[in-house]
Amino acid sequence: MSASHGVATVTTDRHFGKATGGKIAMWMFIAQDGFSFGALLLAYGVLRIVADAWPAAGVSVQDILGINLTAFATFVLICSSVTMVLAVDSAQKADKGATVRWLLATIAGGAIFLGIQAYEYTILSQAGIGFANSTWEGQEVNALFGSTFYVVTGFHGLHVLSGVIYLCFILAGTLRGKYTQGGLSYSPVELVGLFWHFVDLVWILVFTFIYLL
Amino acid sequence: MAAKPDSPARHATTAASHGDGEVHDDHPTRRTFFTIFAILTFLTVVEVAVPEVFDSEWNRSTKMLLLVGLAVGKALLVALYFMHLKWERPWLRHIAAMPVYMGIFAVLLMIEHLFRPLVP
Repeated sequence: MSASHGVATVTTDRHFGKATGGKIAMWMFIAQDGFSFGALLLAYGVLRIVADAWPAAGVSVQDILGINLTAFATFVLICSSVTMVLAVDSAQKADKGATVRWLLATIAGGAIFLGIQAYEYTILSQAGIGFANSTWEGQEVNALFGSTFYVVTGFHGLHVLSGVIYLCFILAGTLRGKYTQGGLSYSPVELVGLFWHFVDLVWILVFTFIYLL
Repeated sequence: MAAKPDSPARHATTAASHGDGEVHDDHPTRRTFFTIFAILTFLTVVEVAVPEVFDSEWNRSTKMLLLVGLAVGKALLVALYFMHLKWERPWLRHIAAMPVYMGIFAVLLMIEHLFRPLVP
């Protein structure tokens, strides 16, 4: 890929097709980020398997964690993935107005998700689920339950926050008309889209492994 | 990647945006996105219902298999359609699948560890 007047051009490559250098780099970043999440989830799995009781004897994960609220947060994130893909589609069609609207909707989705997560953390900490020591209705809870929960969901939350900030920068560029000039000018919107979908994809796995299993 | 004019394997092109909403070699339609969205929403509802239906100790394995299957299915839909992997070349798919390879390797190591006491 080479940059010419701020607009990316691309070559057709035998191995990568029409993928730009930025796209390949973003995929490599996503892959290494996937390693981080994979390691965290594997560590969580191993700690849970070897635990005597998880989270405590006679207490299920669903008793402590609010599944319906988190399912709604999952739905919000899925919706934001759709708005993101529509933003990329609009940018590809050089439709500035639609791109701005869909990007704003995606940012709103991310902000709502973060709000739900902050609310969930507040409720859980007030109920006794701490980072190191936890109790639930007077009963002692496996200390690793809180640790793994906050580390995995917190790491994901940081990604959502980073994604929202990244989206704000892309929105600012779109408002200036940088990414809707036709050709490959939409490329930065596509890259933030890849990151945002990755955040959604990881949440699908986190929701299952942490909340539902 | 700079284009090499003398290389037959690389052809310098500038990809064109189509803007007509039709399927081309590397563009899904909006209808595809909404269909995937509907499927993801439906699968999420099913996911939430699974722990309620399979809440006994004896069907715990069924619950685990169903939930993991649903999660993997949803993740694949996002990767293939929203992240456009379905329309990418194999090399990019290999890069994307690297964490999966790590996961398989880790599971193999854990299985080996589980069966280690059986070996004298």
